[in-house]
Amino acid sequence: MSEISFPIKDLTRRKFQTGLTILGLTICASATIFIVIFGSNIGFEVAFLTVGGRLTTGFFNIFSRFILVVGLLNIIAGAFITSFLVYMAMSERVRDIGVMKSAGCLSGSILGYFITELSILVFLSCIAGTIFGIGAYYISINSLNALGFSISQVLSLWAIILIFLILIFVSHIFGALPIIKAAEVKPAQALSPLYSLGTTFELGRTVPSKLGFTFKVAYRNLVRRKSATRQAIICLAVVLTLTTVTIAGGMIARQTTTNYVERAIGRDVVLVGHPTLTGRYVNLLSQFFEAKEMGPINYLNSDFFISESLVLKLGNISGVHKVDPRLVLGASVLEIPGIIPDPHDPKQAIIIGDSRRDEALILGVKPEEVVNEWLIMGRVLSKADQKSTIIGDSLALEMFDNPQNQSIKVFEEIFDIVGVCLDPLNNGKVVYMPLNILSTALGQTGYNLLFLKIDPSQRSQVLAEIENELVGKDLEVVELNEILGKHVNFLDHIWSFVMFLPLFSLVTATLCLLSYLMLSIAGQQREFGIMRALGAKPRRVIKIIFMQALLITLISGAIGISVGLFVTFAFLIPEPVISHYTLVSVTGWLLLALSLLCLSSLYPAMKAVKKSVVSAIYSA
Amino acid sequence: MKEKVVLASSLCKQYQISNLTIEALKNLDMEVEKGEFISIHGPSGAGKTTLLNIIGGLDKPTSGKIVVFGHDLGTYDENFLATFRCAYVGFVFQSYNLISTLTAIENIAFAVELAGWPGDRIGKRSENLLKLVGLEHRANHFPAQLSGGEQQRVAFARALANDPPLLLADEPTGNLDVETGLEIVRILEKTKSEGKTVIVATHDERILKLANRTLRLHDGRIIDTNE
Repeated sequence: MSEISFPIKDLTRRKFQTGLTILGLTICASATIFIVIFGSNIGFEVAFLTVGGRLTTGFFNIFSRFILVVGLLNIIAGAFITSFLVYMAMSERVRDIGVMKSAGCLSGSILGYFITELSILVFLSCIAGTIFGIGAYYISINSLNALGFSISQVLSLWAIILIFLILIFVSHIFGALPIIKAAEVKPAQALSPLYSLGTTFELGRTVPSKLGFTFKVAYRNLVRRKSATRQAIICLAVVLTLTTVTIAGGMIARQTTTNYVERAIGRDVVLVGHPTLTGRYVNLLSQFFEAKEMGPINYLNSDFFISESLVLKLGNISGVHKVDPRLVLGASVLEIPGIIPDPHDPKQAIIIGDSRRDEALILGVKPEEVVNEWLIMGRVLSKADQKSTIIGDSLALEMFDNPQNQSIKVFEEIFDIVGVCLDPLNNGKVVYMPLNILSTALGQTGYNLLFLKIDPSQRSQVLAEIENELVGKDLEVVELNEILGKHVNFLDHIWSFVMFLPLFSLVTATLCLLSYLMLSIAGQQREFGIMRALGAKPRRVIKIIFMQALLITLISGAIGISVGLFVTFAFLIPEPVISHYTLVSVTGWLLLALSLLCLSSLYPAMKAVKKSVVSAIYSA
Repeated sequence: MKEKVVLASSLCKQYQISNLTIEALKNLDMEVEKGEFISIHGPSGAGKTTLLNIIGGLDKPTSGKIVVFGHDLGTYDENFLATFRCAYVGFVFQSYNLISTLTAIENIAFAVELAGWPGDRIGKRSENLLKLVGLEHRANHFPAQLSGGEQQRVAFARALANDPPLLLADEPTGNLDVETGLEIVRILEKTKSEGKTVIVATHDERILKLANRTLRLHDGRIIDTNE
């Protein structure tokens, strides 16, 4: 028989298994391709927000790291699932290989036949998967855009080709392993039920005998197919890691980024200042979610200054918890290179950084009065600080190599950088320094903006009193809660893109489990028929299959969720913020995902019991 | 007049394989009385297995009526048929059909449990059955570790687990050598002596000799009956 006709005949003879393998591989390939191009598109969108003048570099880094990890895990999961399905399909050939060898077929020919078969399966599935993946991508993008999002369609061909090649390569490696192993097996061994079913000798001692038959049969069937079960567990664990990262990581990251913004802007903070300047400040905050052109402004216009007596009066209003007067202005800042020990030779020193220049918003603050509680790398300013600053994340990441070992030059004075804060103001291009130092450098005393932290329970009363104090003055009061709400909505909007991904990883996990169960059920069909012939009701068979799915899901869930949480906390989110609600939501979603996985096993189980007893016994 | 255990009338069974219709049973009529030992023989493809499957409630006729212990089996759903099999039928297959993940004693205990025996008596009952077929020393061995004859003896013990009034055996010695087959014949003899109704599809002369009646099946029809 020719090299090609045997594989084709063999594949068509095993219609069910071939169909199932091709279907599983196709779906897996399409899901992987879809998630990677969809994820990179979302990544591009998020990146575009930064390029287009929105978000801050720090926030972008959180999003891009998240999308990168999810994308990477998807490729790994795709490779594992593909290899698993191919492994399962090829493991079924072991007995045939034994028959062929006993009939005198040479090992080389056998390898040729089955590797060709493997290639046909893999190429067909990967090509179909790529086509479906691209189709699903276009459908999803168009559906999301129809729902009000505005995602551009950027198809990354390189990503598609890369994933296609990875899947082909991995499938061949993992698919070839059982073939090579089987081709080396002696004919008598390959034909022995002990080989194809796995040794059963130790099974009797592994399960306490008092456990019911349902559990016993389910457990032993899993153990008997040790290799396949192990592969299924690894495969599902990887997919569940991905699901955990996207669900738990996504939800925690969503809450954390929202919290960062809340801390940076401050909740229940009102801004008092000249309308031109308060408008300007609000616009600078809005840059985070809405790029705006802003004309030049003289921050030091004498009309903008707030008198010390007014600051004192406003601070004395009952319900005002904190008074944070600031001197704000725009200025050019210069990077000052730093000197650090050479990491390769600690005795030597190296210069880091350059002399980059950028425009930034300079804020002179009284360190002990600051209303913001930024996420900060380093430390906040203290009262004793003289030549120290903290700078915004975008400025730090775009202008400095190692900000805390470098300095910044503002108004011809050089300052140390003691901290880098995540701040949406002016898209993170901000420099905070002690007010007295700034005043000295400028030769200008006083404040042009005043921030008041108020008691939310007395909001109306406090606002009325503030407004009362401002009567007759060219000043206004602006509540920052409203703009904070817009920031939170914007972040929610981006996360809703990203959170779209777990749905697909869950579908992939379900398919992975279904493929394993279907192939496993196909191998157990005869025994299920026997049980029913003995008087077992269909429900009993369903219970056994469900128990198998439950065991696999629980084991892989325990591994996948632990690894997923580790990845989330170790790499994804610095200083995660987890509320009771988030914890309950994450637990709920993960339980739902595991339950859905287990429940999906009911489909092949129902399918298995629909088969008549006779056909189950005799056709298997 | 003895009780009619099996009553088949105008029994037909057709299988559809692609465009081909295979008639396994054609208008078959038969009656089996309580305590009778019936042997069925005939060439391969004559319909012996199909007939046993229909009597045992494993399969349904395409047309005609099959009444076993007063139950018209063609009219019941799978759940009832499972209960029926538990209560009335013990089945022995030619290829043993033991559950490969259960040990010899567990295979029997599984059937005892299905028959509704209380948990504390399942173990004892299983051990007794295993003793009955002389395999108590092989209790904790898996089917793959037993010989063909041993597997078939376990299969007999399992078929008797629910103390069925009707035992159906499909070529029980078909896969066994002469010596091993003899042990199966002895078990069948014992079952007969206990007054159970036995229907066996076989070519084994030793089993045929045990039968009260031998039905010769050909092309889906009973063509000869020897009393």
